Amino acid sequence: MTLSIGLIIVLTIYVGLAQLDALSAQFGFYSPLFGGMVTGLLMGNVTTGLLVGGTLQLMILGVATYGGASVPDYLSGSIIGTAYAILSAKGAQYGIGLAVPIGLLLTQLDVLARMSNLFFQHRADRHAKLGNYKGVERANLLGILPWTLSRMIPVFIGLLFGNSVVNVINQYMPAWLMLGLKTAGAILPALGIAILMRYLPLKKFFPFFIIGFVMMAIGGTTTTMMSVALIGLALAAVYMLFKREFKPTTANGAPAPQASNNDDDGEVEIDD
Amino acid sequence: MTEEKKIESVITKKDLNQVARRNLFGLQLGWNYEKMQGLGYCYVIMPILKKLYKNNDEEMKRALQQHLGFFNTTPAMSHLIVGANTALEEKLKGSDPDAVTGLKTGLMGPFAGVGDTLFVAIYRTLIFSIAAYLALQGQAVGLLIPLIAGACIVYLRYKFTFIGYNQGQRLTTEFGNQLKNLTEAAAILGLTVIGALIPAVIKPVLPLAFTIGKVKLDIQALLDQIIPGIIPIAIVLFSYWLLGKKKMTSTRLLFILLALGLLLGNIGTIVSLF
Repeated sequence: MTLSIGLIIVLTIYVGLAQLDALSAQFGFYSPLFGGMVTGLLMGNVTTGLLVGGTLQLMILGVATYGGASVPDYLSGSIIGTAYAILSAKGAQYGIGLAVPIGLLLTQLDVLARMSNLFFQHRADRHAKLGNYKGVERANLLGILPWTLSRMIPVFIGLLFGNSVVNVINQYMPAWLMLGLKTAGAILPALGIAILMRYLPLKKFFPFFIIGFVMMAIGGTTTTMMSVALIGLALAAVYMLFKREFKPTTANGAPAPQASNNDDDGEVEIDD
Repeated sequence: MTEEKKIESVITKKDLNQVARRNLFGLQLGWNYEKMQGLGYCYVIMPILKKLYKNNDEEMKRALQQHLGFFNTTPAMSHLIVGANTALEEKLKGSDPDAVTGLKTGLMGPFAGVGDTLFVAIYRTLIFSIAAYLALQGQAVGLLIPLIAGACIVYLRYKFTFIGYNQGQRLTTEFGNQLKNLTEAAAILGLTVIGALIPAVIKPVLPLAFTIGKVKLDIQALLDQIIPGIIPIAIVLFSYWLLGKKKMTSTRLLFILLALGLLLGNIGTIVSLF
C-alpha cells in the first residue's frame, strides 16, 4: 500500500484545521484521538487509527498547555504514526512507537511558532501607537500562519517519505524491540493518568478514586465506564448534599457563616 | 466626541455577540511569549473599541495600547473577563486606566486556577478519557462524546460573555467562586472515573508464567488473587510518585515508561537467561 499525493494533501490540510480547533473552540479535532481516527478512516483501516489515537490520547490526558507551555505534538504524531502502521501492516503498537518520538521532536516547532508570533505582536504594537486598529486585527489573524505551518509542513514531509522510511525501519527493527514497544504501548496510558491525578485533588478525595478503581478491577467486563461514571455522579451529589445539610457549627451551635452555595451545581452538563 | 452620547445604550447585543465570536475563534491566534494572549485580547474586544472610539484618534491609540497588554488565562474563563471589561470600558471610557488593568490582571490568575481544573483537567478526565477508552475497544462512536460536550462548552462560553457584561467586576468574582463548588463536585466524579480507567485501559500482557525445574509458577494468577489490576495500579502510583519528585518532567517519565515497557515485554527472555 502506498500513500497517494491526494491523501497526503488532505491530511496536511486536516492537521492545519485541527490546530486552529486547538486554539479556538476545542471540539476535539486537535486531539490524537481524532488524528488517528481520521487518518485510519481515509486509509481504510479505522481500527488501527482508533488504537493509535486512543493510546496516545490517554498518554497525554494530563499534558496540557497550562500557561502556554509547549507540549509534544502528538496530533501530528498520531497522523504520521497511524499512516505508517497501516502502510507497514505491523499493527497499532508499531504506529504508537513511531508517533511518540515524532511528537517529541515536533515540540520544537511549537516553540518556534510561538516565537514567530512575536513578530506580529511587535507589528501590532507599532500599529497601536498610530491608532491603526485594522493593522492590529490583521496582526492577530496573521498568527494563523506560524501556528498552522508548524504542523502542516512536518506532516506533509513525514507522509511524503513514508514508504521509504517504513522500508528502512522494517529492515532493521529487531524482534525484542517490537515486543518491548508492544508492552510499552500498553502501559503508556499510565503517563497521562498519573499527570492528571497531579492536577486533581487526589489527596482530599482519594476514597472516590479507590471506589472507581475497585469497581472496574473486580467488575471485569461486566462493569462499563458509564456505570462507574454514574456512581461517581451519585457520590458527587451525596457529597454536596452532606456539605449543605451538615454545615460546620460554631461553639454556640449556630451555623458558621458560609458563602451561600448555588443549589444548581450543574453536573448534568459535564456528563454528556 | 463620544462623551456626548448616552452611555447606557452604546453597546448592543450585536456587539457582544461579535465579541463572543471573536473570543471563541481569535483569542489565541496571535499567542506569543511576550504578551501571550494579549494580542488576541485586543482583537477580541476590538468591536467595542471601534464602537466607542472610531472617531476619536487619541482615545483609540490609548485603548489599543492598553488592551494589547499581557494577558493569559483559560480560554473559557476569558469570556467573563472580556464581558466585565466591556461594561467597564463603556462606563469609564478610559478615565481610569488602572481599573481596566486591575480587572484583567486581578481576575486572570484566579480564573486560570479554577478554569484549568474545571475546563482542562476534569473536562479531559470525563470527556476524552471515556472517548479514548471506547476507541481502544474499537468503537468510533465514542468520538461523538467530545463533539457534543464541545458544543455545550461553546454555548457556555458564549453565555459567559453576557454574564461578565451584566454582572461586572465584583459579581464576576462571585460567579468564579460558584464555579469552585462545581469544581469540587466534578473532581469527585473525575477521580472515580480515573480510578476505573486504570484497570480498563492499562492492560500489559506480561509473560509472567515461569517453569523453574518442575514447578510451574504463574505470577499473573497469583497477583490476580490479591486484586485484579494490581500491575496497572502499581505502574500508575509509581508514575504519580515519580512526578512529585523534583526535576521529574512528563518527558522524562515517558522515557522511564518506555524503558519499563521494553523490560517487561522481554521479561520472559531475560528470566530464561538465568
